[in-house]
Amino acid sequence: MMPTQSQLRLRTVLFWLLPVVLLAVPLLVNPYIQFIINSILIYALITLGFNFVIGNLGQLAFANTAFFGIGAYASAIGATSLGLPWLATIPLAGIAGAIGGFLASGAALRGIRFYYLAIITLAFGELMRWLYVHAKSVTGGTDGLSLPRETFLGYSLTDDRVKFYIFLVITVLLFKATLNLLRSQVGRSIMAVRENEVATASLGIPTSRIIVIGFMWSGFVVGCAGSLFALHTSYVFPESFGMLHLIVSFAMVLVGGLGSVLGAVLGAAALTVLPEYLRSFPGMEELFFGLIVIAVLLVLPQGLASLLRRVSPIFIERYYRE
Amino acid sequence: MTNLLEVEGLCVHFAGLDALKDVSLNLAPGQILAVIGPNGAGKTTLFNAISGYVRPSAGQVRLKGHDVAGASPHEIARHGIRRTFQNGGLFPAMTVLENVLTGLHAQTEGSFLDVLLGRRRALESEREMIARARELLSLMQMEKMADMRAADLSGGQQRIVEIIRTVASDPPILLLDEPAVGLSPLARDQMMEIIHRMAGEKGVGILLIEHAVELVMAGADRILVMAAGQRIAEGTPQEIREDRAVLEAYLGHA
Repeated sequence: MMPTQSQLRLRTVLFWLLPVVLLAVPLLVNPYIQFIINSILIYALITLGFNFVIGNLGQLAFANTAFFGIGAYASAIGATSLGLPWLATIPLAGIAGAIGGFLASGAALRGIRFYYLAIITLAFGELMRWLYVHAKSVTGGTDGLSLPRETFLGYSLTDDRVKFYIFLVITVLLFKATLNLLRSQVGRSIMAVRENEVATASLGIPTSRIIVIGFMWSGFVVGCAGSLFALHTSYVFPESFGMLHLIVSFAMVLVGGLGSVLGAVLGAAALTVLPEYLRSFPGMEELFFGLIVIAVLLVLPQGLASLLRRVSPIFIERYYRE
Repeated sequence: MTNLLEVEGLCVHFAGLDALKDVSLNLAPGQILAVIGPNGAGKTTLFNAISGYVRPSAGQVRLKGHDVAGASPHEIARHGIRRTFQNGGLFPAMTVLENVLTGLHAQTEGSFLDVLLGRRRALESEREMIARARELLSLMQMEKMADMRAADLSGGQQRIVEIIRTVASDPPILLLDEPAVGLSPLARDQMMEIIHRMAGEKGVGILLIEHAVELVMAGADRILVMAAGQRIAEGTPQEIREDRAVLEAYLGHA
């Protein structure tokens, strides 16, 4: 069952209403919750970008953490060495992430798929981490980089409430842009490559270019997330961009729902909040975290988004716009 | 009448094996040319070589006088050749409408940036394409299935959606690789009717691989018979029926 016209209109209203309602969040919550909510926005972008490559483009590529680190470092280097205001480093981080995406797509373009693509992109991530450690003069090595304190229009950028408003705007814009892409011939071509690359080319669709676009957009979104992360923690160092981060973001994609934009938000929110609850079980946190992820995937193999789709067709994602 | 497609001396070499050896054919507008032959005769290799999936080792593939041999599949598709696949080329997890829309990819306007920013140019073109896709679906009485996942259709319906997607952009040349395989007799007749309509009404030149000889004898204008990578005969169904070489290829002796 597909959403009716009025449900589609309602969905558009909800899409824009939700961020407006969220504007009130800083007035209502304590600093601890504000920090968690800021993390959710960043993770939502990471999951969105990761999902774009594995869920929509269908490539088993694990360069996501590389894009994230590249974005975070681009932002931190821009703000320290280049002396740019942090806000101006966001597009820089996005472009740096997109370049990372371009490099990662090179492997896919050479016909490397599945396990081979997975291992090569994992290696790319570890290589980047090696670079952060060893390119000391620009990255600060294992000590990392601290972002300078800044103000924006008189508001301190160390204030989590101020960060929240900036993060919210960027997150909404990137989600909207991604939805625009998916609900167009670009998005359908990206999914067609996932479904059947050979048949896709037979329709006159340049599959190589589509793969490059898919990786670059993923890199752009996740690179921007890296920039937000740099401000969020005000400190960028190599250990943030290792295997653990990759596994957590991968779990977010799957728990939310592979290929689902709505799922990116749900997966990021669920797995950012969960560890906070598990803090009351010291020593057992990882165990419970793992068990809960497994349980969710067993019950809902298509992720949390599929649960909402069952509740109402309003949550069914379509890839065209009338 | 000028030919839409001219294939001349096409050869494909696979690791010491001549999968295709010096095959030539001509296809005129509105003509249905059937390609028959035993398994391993090179029929699908011929399709793959024409549509760019296999690089020919020699020979020419001319589209309206323009040699495209060796070009990539999407470039050849853009020149007006569209094909279907023997084991089905639908995108199973996408809906019927989304599948047909991918067939209109080349017609859809709007740059990447137009799409990204949701600019009017992209949105208008998108709406236009959706209207066209819905119209094509309703011509085949498939409009009610527009929002179904392709994987949930019956085998016959899937074949029809694949054909709709293939012809959505009005290609002058169609390569159909066993479009009727696995269909019920009723669906098979329906499929042949669609193929005839495209040739008759739209003047599409159709190259058709088909195993069911009786279907080909009744439906094709000309027949090309292949065996072991070579063309062994070509002619009208009547001529082929009486050809000694064909009888030998099929029955071992005449």
